[in-house]
Amino acid sequence: MTVPGQDAPEPPQRVRVEAPRRLANAAPVRASVAQEVSEHSQVGEVFVRSLIRSQLRLAAVVAGAFALVLAGCWLLATLLPGLLEVRLGGIPLPWLVLGVGIYPVVCLCAWLFVRAAARNEARYLDLVGEK
Amino acid sequence: MNATAGFAALAAVAAATALIGFYGLRISRTTSDFYVASRTVKPWLNASAIGGEYLSAASFLGIAGLVMVSGLDALWFPIGYTAGYLMLLLFVAAPLRRSGAYTIPDFAQARLDSTAARSVTSVLVVVVGWFYIVPQLHGAALTIRTTTGLPAWVGSVAVVAVVVLTVATGGMRSITFVQAFQYWLKLTALGVPAIFLVLQVSGPGAPVPSAEAAAMVWGGSGGSPYRTLSLLAALLFGTLGLPHVLVRFYTNPDGSAARRTTLIVLGLLGLFYIFPTILGVLGRLFLPELVAAGGADAVVLLLPGRLVGGTAGELLSALVIAGAFAAFLSTTSGLVVSLAGVISQDLLGGSVRGFRWAAVLSAVVPLAVALGTQSLGLAGSVGLVFAFTASTVCPMLVLGIWWRGLTDAGAIAGMVAGGTLCGGAILLGPRLHAGDPGYELLSQPAAWTVPVAFAVMVLVSRATAHRQGAGTARFMTRLHVPERPLSPGKPR
Repeated sequence: MTVPGQDAPEPPQRVRVEAPRRLANAAPVRASVAQEVSEHSQVGEVFVRSLIRSQLRLAAVVAGAFALVLAGCWLLATLLPGLLEVRLGGIPLPWLVLGVGIYPVVCLCAWLFVRAAARNEARYLDLVGEK
Repeated sequence: MNATAGFAALAAVAAATALIGFYGLRISRTTSDFYVASRTVKPWLNASAIGGEYLSAASFLGIAGLVMVSGLDALWFPIGYTAGYLMLLLFVAAPLRRSGAYTIPDFAQARLDSTAARSVTSVLVVVVGWFYIVPQLHGAALTIRTTTGLPAWVGSVAVVAVVVLTVATGGMRSITFVQAFQYWLKLTALGVPAIFLVLQVSGPGAPVPSAEAAAMVWGGSGGSPYRTLSLLAALLFGTLGLPHVLVRFYTNPDGSAARRTTLIVLGLLGLFYIFPTILGVLGRLFLPELVAAGGADAVVLLLPGRLVGGTAGELLSALVIAGAFAAFLSTTSGLVVSLAGVISQDLLGGSVRGFRWAAVLSAVVPLAVALGTQSLGLAGSVGLVFAFTASTVCPMLVLGIWWRGLTDAGAIAGMVAGGTLCGGAILLGPRLHAGDPGYELLSQPAAWTVPVAFAVMVLVSRATAHRQGAGTARFMTRLHVPERPLSPGKPR
C-alpha cells in the first residue's frame, strides 16, 4: 500500500478500463502444447470428464454428510425436548449445539473439501503430464 | 436514548467509509493490472471483505430480533446463512472464479452461448438485488427512528445518498479495504457489547429479569418441520445466486485461492453469528416487551442503554449503531455496484456515464419500495429473497457448472418457472393467515420451488438437446481444470 503524498517510485500510468465487460472472456490464457493436445484430444476429454466427475462426487459427499449433521441436530432438538433440561454452564444443550457447536463442523467440512479438491486437481495435472 | 450518540456514530461510519474508500489504496493500475489486480489481495483481506459485504441488516439486527420472537428455531437462520457459503464453496467457488465471468449474466452468456439467457438472468439479478436492498433500508429506517427520534425515512434516504455518492463518484476504488474494515467493525460492534453485557448480567449487582421472562427464555416457538426445511433450502441454495457475491470472488488470483478464501469466510461468519444469538437471548431476558410491540429487530440497539446506562451505555450504544450502519452501507453498496454493472452493460451500453446513471437507478427503485412498505421482520424478508435466488439463479449456475446437457432453452424455462412460482408465492403469502390452506407452502416456498426449477431445467434441456452449444466442452474444461502455475514475470 502506498501512503498518499509520499514519493513512490514512478508508478505506471493510471488507465480507465471501460471495455464492454462481456469481452473479458477473450482474455488469452496461456496454455502449453501438451496441455492443448491433452485437453482437446479424445484422451484429454476423458481426463477432463473424470476430473469433473470426481469433483462433483466429492462435493455431493460433503454436502450429504453436512445435511446428515443438520438433520441429526434438528431431530435432537425436536424429538428430545428433554435435552433443554441438560445444561452446560447454565445454557441448554440444544442452544449450545445450534448456536455455537455447529460452526466448527461447517468449517471442518469446508477444510476437508478444500484439501480433497486440491488433491483431485493435482492428480489430474499428473495425468496430463504437468507439474 | 441520547440522540447525540446516534448522530456521532452515523457520521463516524460515513466518514471512515469515505476516507478508506478514497485514500485507502491508491495504487496506479494499468489495464492488465486491473484484470489480475486480484493477485495483490491476500485471502485474509479478501475473506474479511466478503464477510463485510455479506453481513447485512438481517444478520446484524434481524437475527437477534428473530431469537427474541422464536427462540431456538431462530438459530437455523444464522446456520443457513453460514452453510450457504459452504454450498458456494462445494459447488460454485472455484469453477466460477475460473469461468472468467464478472457478473452472473456474463456467466450465463458464456456458458449457454445465448443472449436471451443473458437477458433473463440480468432481469432476475436486478430484481433480486432490488429486493435485497429493501430490507437494508428498512433496517436503516428502524435504526434512525429508534436511536435519534428522527422520522424513519431519514435513515433510508441517508444510506441511499451515501451509497450513490460513493459509487457514482468512483469513491469505491478501494472497495476491498472498505468492506474488510466493515467486517471487523461489525464484529467489534456486536462482540464487545455482547461480552460486556454478559459480564454485566452475571456479575454482582446485576439487573434481575422478571420471573416470567426468566422462565420463558430458553423456550422455542415450535415451528413446523416444513418451515425449517424450506428455510434451510432457501438459505443454503440462495447464497449461490446473490449478485454481489460473484464479483468479490474475482479478486482471488485463481480457483484454489477462491476455495481458501471461502474457507476463511466460513470461519469469520461462524465467529460473528455467536454474538447476535447472545444478544437475542439477553433481549428475551431483559426486554421481552419488545416482541409484543413488534419492535424485536431493535433489540440490539436498545440493550446496551437498558442494561448498562450512563456513559458506558452511551458508548456501547454508539458502537452498535456504527456497526448497524456499516452493515446497511456495505451490503447496499456491494449490491448497487453489481446491479449498476449489470444494468449499465445490458441497457446503457457499458459507458462510465451509463454506470453512474445505473447506480442511481439501482438505489432509487428500492428506496421507493422501502419508503412505501413496512418491514415485516428483517431476517424473514431477506429469507424470502434467498428463496427467490435459490429458485432461479442457483439452478442455472449449478447445472451450468456441472452438467454439460444444460441448454439455453432449459435454463430460461427453469429460471422463468422458478421465478414465477416463487415470486407468486412471495406476493401471495403475506395475504394469507396462519391456518389457511397453503399458508405454509406459500409463506416459505423454497422447498418446492427449488426442485421444480431444477426439474424444469433438466427436462427442457433434455428435450432441446440439439441446442447444446458447440463450445460447451471447451468451457467446461476451462471451469474445472486447475490453472497452470504462474511463471513469474509473464502475464497470463
